[in-house]
Amino acid sequence: MKRLTLLLFCIVLFAIEATAQLTTIKGIVTDTAEKKPLPNSVVALLTSKDSVFVTHTRSTKDGSFELKGIPTGSYFLLITYPTFADYYTNINVKDENPIVLNSIPMTLRSQLLQEVVVRQQLGAVRIKKDTTEYVADSFKVAANANVEELLKRLPGVQVDKDGKIKAQGEEVKKVLVDGEEFFGDDPTMATQNLRADAIDKVQVYDKKSDQAAFTGIDDGQKTKTINLKMKEDKKNGYFGKVSLGGGLKDKYNNQAMVNAFKGKRKFAAFATMANNGRTGLGWGDQSAYGGSDNSNIEFVDGGVSITSYGDDFGGGGSFYGEGLPSSWTAGVHYSNKYDEDKHKLNFSYRFNKLNTNGSGGTTSQYILPDTFYFRNDNGNNFSQKLRNSLNGTYEIQLDSSSSLKVTANGSKGTSQNKAFNYSESLTDKNAFVNRSFRTTSSNGTNEAFNSSILWRKKFKKVGRTVSLSFDQKYSSSSTDGFLNSDNQYYDGAGSLIRKDSIDQQKINNSSQRFVSGKVSYTEPLSKTVFLEFNYSLGNSNSESERITNEKKNGKYDQYIDSLSSDYGFKVLTQSVGGNIRWNKKKFNASMGGNISNSDFRQTDLIQDTVYKYNYLNFFPRANFNYNIKPQTRLGLRYNGSTQQPTIDQIQPLKDNNDPLNVRKGNPNLKQEFRHNFSLSYNDFKILNNRGIWAYIDFTSTQNAISNSDFVDTLGRRVTQPVNVNGNYNYYSYFNYGFKLKKSDFNIGFNAGINGSQYNTVVNNLKNRSTSGSYSLGVNGNYRKEKKMEFNIGIDRGYNTSKASINTNLNNNYWNTSVNASATYYLPKKFEISSNVDANFRQKTPLFQQNRNVTRWNASLSKKFLKDESFVMKFEVNDILDQNIGFSRDISSNNITERTYQTLRRFWLVSFTWNFNKGGKAPRSPFE
Amino acid sequence: MKKILIPILSFLLPILTEAQTFIAKGKIEFERKINVHKQFEGEGEWVQEMKSQIPQFKITYFDYFFDGDQSCYKPGREVADAKSPGFFEVGVAQDNIVYTNFASQQFTSQKQVFEKQFLIQDSVRKINWKLTDDTRKIAGFNCRKATGIIMDSVFVFAFYTDEILITGGPEGFSGLPGMILGIAIPRINTTWFATKLELVPIAPKDLAPPTKGKKTNVPDLQKSLLSSLKDWGKYAERNVWQVML
Repeated sequence: MKRLTLLLFCIVLFAIEATAQLTTIKGIVTDTAEKKPLPNSVVALLTSKDSVFVTHTRSTKDGSFELKGIPTGSYFLLITYPTFADYYTNINVKDENPIVLNSIPMTLRSQLLQEVVVRQQLGAVRIKKDTTEYVADSFKVAANANVEELLKRLPGVQVDKDGKIKAQGEEVKKVLVDGEEFFGDDPTMATQNLRADAIDKVQVYDKKSDQAAFTGIDDGQKTKTINLKMKEDKKNGYFGKVSLGGGLKDKYNNQAMVNAFKGKRKFAAFATMANNGRTGLGWGDQSAYGGSDNSNIEFVDGGVSITSYGDDFGGGGSFYGEGLPSSWTAGVHYSNKYDEDKHKLNFSYRFNKLNTNGSGGTTSQYILPDTFYFRNDNGNNFSQKLRNSLNGTYEIQLDSSSSLKVTANGSKGTSQNKAFNYSESLTDKNAFVNRSFRTTSSNGTNEAFNSSILWRKKFKKVGRTVSLSFDQKYSSSSTDGFLNSDNQYYDGAGSLIRKDSIDQQKINNSSQRFVSGKVSYTEPLSKTVFLEFNYSLGNSNSESERITNEKKNGKYDQYIDSLSSDYGFKVLTQSVGGNIRWNKKKFNASMGGNISNSDFRQTDLIQDTVYKYNYLNFFPRANFNYNIKPQTRLGLRYNGSTQQPTIDQIQPLKDNNDPLNVRKGNPNLKQEFRHNFSLSYNDFKILNNRGIWAYIDFTSTQNAISNSDFVDTLGRRVTQPVNVNGNYNYYSYFNYGFKLKKSDFNIGFNAGINGSQYNTVVNNLKNRSTSGSYSLGVNGNYRKEKKMEFNIGIDRGYNTSKASINTNLNNNYWNTSVNASATYYLPKKFEISSNVDANFRQKTPLFQQNRNVTRWNASLSKKFLKDESFVMKFEVNDILDQNIGFSRDISSNNITERTYQTLRRFWLVSFTWNFNKGGKAPRSPFE
Repeated sequence: MKKILIPILSFLLPILTEAQTFIAKGKIEFERKINVHKQFEGEGEWVQEMKSQIPQFKITYFDYFFDGDQSCYKPGREVADAKSPGFFEVGVAQDNIVYTNFASQQFTSQKQVFEKQFLIQDSVRKINWKLTDDTRKIAGFNCRKATGIIMDSVFVFAFYTDEILITGGPEGFSGLPGMILGIAIPRINTTWFATKLELVPIAPKDLAPPTKGKKTNVPDLQKSLLSSLKDWGKYAERNVWQVML
């Protein structure tokens, strides 16, 4: 249609050039009643074929007009004048002879006779007042047919070859979709682009003119109109995925998930089982099959923040812990919306089971004044966690300005742990100080129930809001376990001087009940300045019971007072806060803070004694964001916070689970105060594809709660928390990236500087540990849509550390990492992809083991069927069989390196089938 | 809003006793309304959640000054906004200034496109408007509806009045036999409607063409945009339309 118009235009233009037959149209516009000329009337020339506007002029003082340079063709002349009826006339320009129209009579609209409309009635379909309604589904059309096809089947409606529609004998000039005026106002745009099966009803009626609708006075001008009512449940169908994967000897990764939806009702179910490192639904599948109760979306100034909560069953569907995981998950999710989305209901059930088998070892150097000793710890463990949980959310839009949201969730679970550890302490001359063989086991149950109610109201004044919330939390856990330990102590020369063994039963029961309420209010002071207030009150009641029974005569019935306790805690917290916020176009800033009072009451239920503590905590905040230019932003932030000691830090509750490392409380402990500053700078040029990011974060702590260690000659360490000054840490990150001109190659450089200073007390001497790490990196990526993708990153870093009590020790080291990945799309829907992750860690005088690992993975996959719904994949993980879990920490006077078992070489063949009917998995734009 | 009838074209008076006036200069305020929610139709669960947190419409005001055959469209009064959605939701080229000289059929516009400010100089876009018989009252003026297509496939619905002599409109729209007081572009979920006409004196500075930005023309800007956004998929299209209006 559009092309045709263009073509016609070209022909017309061509005609002009070829023959240069241009003419003039002249005339005079007059008012018929007053017999006066009408100056300034619009005289517009339209093509008669499709009413395309060609040119116009305004009539002069005497009502005359002259349209010059009109090529041959057939036209409409449209003359308009306010309050007068439109005047139309056909004009055929055949040659260059001027066309002279004599006086053109215009008539006042008010004098026009009302047009009489004869309404036809059709019996076969529903007729409501002056609307004829067809129920779309009762007229059969081919699958995938468009609305035009549907209209052709409706009695009384005709569609010609150009898409023009006639209903009840009149031309339909308007096609509305769900009564909307703009979308699809060009009739063919709607009728040819919408699927017939998305239509619920077709309504044909005479639409009053906009003017009549505006004034309420029927002027008789009517337009034959079709309104297409879309089906409420136009999104009706299901989609899902079944994936089976296996590899010898014992690897598997199986998943099945389905989401069936009908309009706004959504029902989803999934089940997974895997021991290849997957622990449930991945990031992308989570929102489609699992509901979104694990994530939270919030609008912060200038951006969107998405928070996704992981839990101890693995976050984002991957296992990050130590050891080899086997995971089973299953869940159902139901959600629905009612009454034009005013009511929303969400409900989900989850089952999780995670078994982990692991083994690992830690080598550490404990730096003492003038000397040090080593500690080696090796062990293996098995753990099993099982949980059933239920979640429900109900949200009601009470009216246009207020809403209520109720959430509740509960869970019940069990846990089981078994561990065997061997640890040894050695002097700097490699002589034994002590050795310990330890077996621990425990079985536990836990349950939790949380609920909350949130009411929010927005007032008419922009920026005035009030919200009220109530929260309730309950949790309890109990474990029953055993500790078996054989300990040997040596003198400095390596001869055994003492032995002891422990065989105890450990029973722990704890419960916590918490209720709180919060009210917050925002008030606009001006269009750009807002005040915020909040007040909250919370009460927590908890109980913690520890029972230690020593084995005697084959029975665990010897109650040990010193290792048993039963405490009750009550904490009443009140908090008041205020904040002032500026929202300007160029910058936004806020300043404020909270003051909170915590009142502790601790009851020793065995001794029947009561301790009371009262802390007043401050939380000042300030924030400044400056938009230097679009996409160039500078941010400054300050956060101050008082951190009160935990009960474990105050109370001398003895815990002998590791008899060589005993913790002790300090009742004189003061609160610490943290100052945190951060500075961020982003400059992103979209048109030039160039970005700069910089971030600096600095934290300094007054009265920091640190540790005072006392190590006796037998290598037993007693740790007690103390307050120290001068602790700080910082980190910074710089990135510069750009796209190479006229290519698809992106290059980035980054640098990072991190450092810290921690003060501790070691055997009554002050120690200051300073550490730093400096890194430089370069990365590149190349991408050619549907052809190939390639990424590479190389990072090199240097790590330093120094302890003031013993400056002779050198633990500095280099580390280098190389990451590369490539995907290549081969013909016949084959796809090959591989990635290499290599880490090189320099040996140090203490850590002499080779910790270099190159992990290489590769996969080959092929998609089948026209819609690529069937995928077969062969993958090999860690082809070189080198992978180890690794961490090294040199930031304090306790230098440690830990390595642990992790997934190594295995292969897997998997078959995945994606199915869908009437819908596809909703995608997130952030993927 | 009642139409302000002030006889400014006094030379008409002797002839026309019934004071039908035609306006040759003044200031029109436009309200641009972007349906932010509509832009996320059919997206995933998270986006639905996001929608519930932002207001459905983003409203901005613009002033259109016109005198004889020159006009200038520029950002107008600011509205209170507790939380203004960032460019992610409403797109680029939001605060354009467009100067048009109808005698020479040339325009100069200033647009902020991401990090760069452009000064676009080119001839006025020709749209093949189709006139319809639909009318609608906007800011007290009777307007006739016309439809057109820009950039090959983007439908534009315009409402113009013959009571204002200049043949302009908001942003760069023009080419109808009168002043465009309403524009709707469904593809970018945006409408511009006049809220009022003020017959105020027009100072030369009101009609001063913009001067800042990197000089370019329509084809060059479109070319550089398309190459910069080529990895953006369907989000590129929307941004290109918004810039190239």
